[in-house]
Amino acid sequence: MSKITIPFGPQHPALKEPENFMLVLEGEQITSAGINLGYNHRGMEKAAEGRTYIQNLYLIERVCGICSHSHTTTYITNVEELAKAEVPQRALAIRTLFAELERVHSHLLWLGVAGYEMGFETLFMYTWRDREQVLDCLELLSGNRVHYSINTLGGVRRDITAEQKAEVLKRIKYLEERTQYYIKLATQEPTVLARTANVGKLPYDVAIERGAVGPTARASGVARDVRKDDPYLLYAQLDFNLITHNTNDVFGRLVVRALELVESYKIINQVLNNLPEGPVAVKVPMKVAPGECVNHYEAPRGEDIHYLKSNGTDKPERLKVRAPTLANLQSVAYMLEGGWLADVPLVIAAIDPCMSCTDRAAVWNPKKGKTEVYSWEEMRKLGIEQYKRRGVDFSRL
Amino acid sequence: MESILPLAYILIFPGFLFLAVYGLYLQWVDRKLCAVMQNRMGPPWIQPYADFIKLLAKEVIVPDAATNKTMFRVLPFFAMAAVMTALISIPVWTPAALFSFQGDMVVVIYLLTIPTVTFFLAGWSSSSPYSTVGSMRVLTQLFAYEVPLMLSLIGPAILAGTWNISEISAFFAAHPALIPAQLLGFLAALVALQGKLERMPFDIPHAKNEIVGGQFTEYSGRLFGFFCLAVDMELVVGAALVNAVFLGGSLGFAGAAGLAVFLGKTLFITFLLALLKVLMARIRIEQMINFCWKYLAPVAMAQVAFDIFLKYRIG
Amino acid sequence: MSEFEKEEKIKAGLEAKFPGAVTNALVQRKNRVWLDAAGEKLPEILAWMKAGGFNHLATVTGFDEGENLGAYYHMTDTKIIVTLKVKTPRANPSIPSVLSVFPGAVSYEKELEDMLGIKVQGLPPGRRYPLAEDFPVGQYPLRKDWKTEDYLAQQPSLKTETK
Repeated sequence: MSKITIPFGPQHPALKEPENFMLVLEGEQITSAGINLGYNHRGMEKAAEGRTYIQNLYLIERVCGICSHSHTTTYITNVEELAKAEVPQRALAIRTLFAELERVHSHLLWLGVAGYEMGFETLFMYTWRDREQVLDCLELLSGNRVHYSINTLGGVRRDITAEQKAEVLKRIKYLEERTQYYIKLATQEPTVLARTANVGKLPYDVAIERGAVGPTARASGVARDVRKDDPYLLYAQLDFNLITHNTNDVFGRLVVRALELVESYKIINQVLNNLPEGPVAVKVPMKVAPGECVNHYEAPRGEDIHYLKSNGTDKPERLKVRAPTLANLQSVAYMLEGGWLADVPLVIAAIDPCMSCTDRAAVWNPKKGKTEVYSWEEMRKLGIEQYKRRGVDFSRL
Repeated sequence: MESILPLAYILIFPGFLFLAVYGLYLQWVDRKLCAVMQNRMGPPWIQPYADFIKLLAKEVIVPDAATNKTMFRVLPFFAMAAVMTALISIPVWTPAALFSFQGDMVVVIYLLTIPTVTFFLAGWSSSSPYSTVGSMRVLTQLFAYEVPLMLSLIGPAILAGTWNISEISAFFAAHPALIPAQLLGFLAALVALQGKLERMPFDIPHAKNEIVGGQFTEYSGRLFGFFCLAVDMELVVGAALVNAVFLGGSLGFAGAAGLAVFLGKTLFITFLLALLKVLMARIRIEQMINFCWKYLAPVAMAQVAFDIFLKYRIG
Repeated sequence: MSEFEKEEKIKAGLEAKFPGAVTNALVQRKNRVWLDAAGEKLPEILAWMKAGGFNHLATVTGFDEGENLGAYYHMTDTKIIVTLKVKTPRANPSIPSVLSVFPGAVSYEKELEDMLGIKVQGLPPGRRYPLAEDFPVGQYPLRKDWKTEDYLAQQPSLKTETK
């Protein structure tokens, strides 16, 4: 049979974000796969150099919709390290709480996406319904469902009240029960097993070689978790397990994520029941002394690493963001080759790709299809006008 | 007058108009049932009709690369015509079909294969990579479910001693005690029908996460609308066939009562098919073939053997 | 400094193994080691470190210091991050590729070429990443002398419209 080249993206129903895989098929089997990236560049690293540390906090939050807390926490840890700020324990606890809520939200989302990609829409509908519970928790605590903006220089912006704590604990209890059901479902349903077992194999040594991180690496038996290896926030004091699995396939990634959910609930319970007393933020000067530092963080998708260099002003000299997906994408090409076309969406989804995290860099992106670029000031003006028409006036704020 | 009546049968009831309206209605029932089972709201009942009318108003785009543009245009109508013709030989609201003859079951089975062949041709003639892969999957899948489907239909035919669908359903209406004995064959036929209709978990030829729209990727507007309608009609005809062969058709009722029985039983079959749809993940094409040949075909065979034995015992 | 025993050991090991090529080594704090490495020895140093357990190249950060361009290679054994700083003159920036040691680093190295114009020797040709295909050749956005405003002014098709 002759070979067919199938473009998988940049626009494709299985991909939520633009990326491109060129698949060469022989019948139903893939003989080679190439990955093209860069459709999503927003120029954040360059943009960060022109903004103050506090402005950057909100820019960095928008690196990714799902792991917004991961990126800001990594960034803020860097800034606070350079500024030598002593962050209060209560603030660290609240950051830890948000980090874990975010992990729960991300993993539930992934479970649904995996269900959708393998054509199991019921799983998708169920997990996304339950994910609303954790989104409600986040909204209750921070006021926002996705971009929580809880971090600020020197601490967090909001405290947690006793009622909020009780409400979150209640919802987490419900989610614990549901997660047990999903674990049962994922490990026993025959069609799920048929679709995930022995699919997208990534052996231990290849995972190391290609620099896989997060659940993708852990499902290949690589015991790599920044929370354990280089504890940040409060993780050194918390009791939780590092989950690994040795099947090296999509099934392993499913199991790792499902079990990590259980660990996250454990952490959330521990943090909420032992919240340290005290203030939630300290004041940090706007100007940061010259220096450089690098910090990593276990985002839901894997290791997120930021490098920050300050030059004594209130703006960073250089900020580098490496999101987990970029590290994992090199493994995807390996996993795809020799597999079935039908498994492509699932294998790609199994690393939980986040292209908007991965692609950031140079220029302001022209608006899709149209060649017009709005400058920051114009965008601001447009936004204010738009809301004015709706009866809200932000210009006086 | 005499020449108008058959025309009315073909065009209005139980022909084109009834099939189209009921097919779109079953599509809604199916979607609503799935939605309820998946904890969603689901569409209002008017949605499928609105979708169809909207598609009729849309522009038709025939790809430049299409190998045969005339064929590309007529294929949806072929699919629809074949499905409609098949219904004429299946009893709907009367114990006997409009037009029944000895051996019409074979004809119906073949007529129901024509839509699948048009799907293949549609995908192949669009010459886009997604359609090409989709159409190859259509054919591969055809060889997987067709044999179990035929085998499972043979059992009741042997038991009734006829190849006439109307006579088979009359036989079961007369001997309702034999209906439960067809359970295995009934289930096998339902699963094979699910494969024929290319629904989850067998929607492999147009699995949207893998190959976008599969064989229909390049279809748009009216032509796409008619393909969708043909699929919905196939659901009605498939359900009617299973009903006539396994469940005794209208159970001897005629007129309004017969129609009520028909509607009730096709809705029940749709419910079973919807249940199958929400319970499972889509399987891979090679798993589908394995499943059909390793499990489904032997189950249908077992039913045939059992029916031969039963026939021998009854005499 | 017995406080950072492991970190000191790594630093001493590198200095002993590559005298002259590894300079300015510094233990910044727990789990963080910084050092300057000579560009031509880079793949060799990384290979040695990889054999010693530093099997994860977390990322590569390009930088622009004025007369020098360069890159930081953040190596980690999951616990300690060792950052190697490699400098290269702005007039003729060039760094050897580390793909022979870390095949997964291809996108990091492409980013160096695209964003800072550092020639990575040994990087296989291919589609550019991360910039768009129609981005002008010879412009390197992460260099300090590259200004977004200038770029926008050069592009007639990107004329700003204000409503």
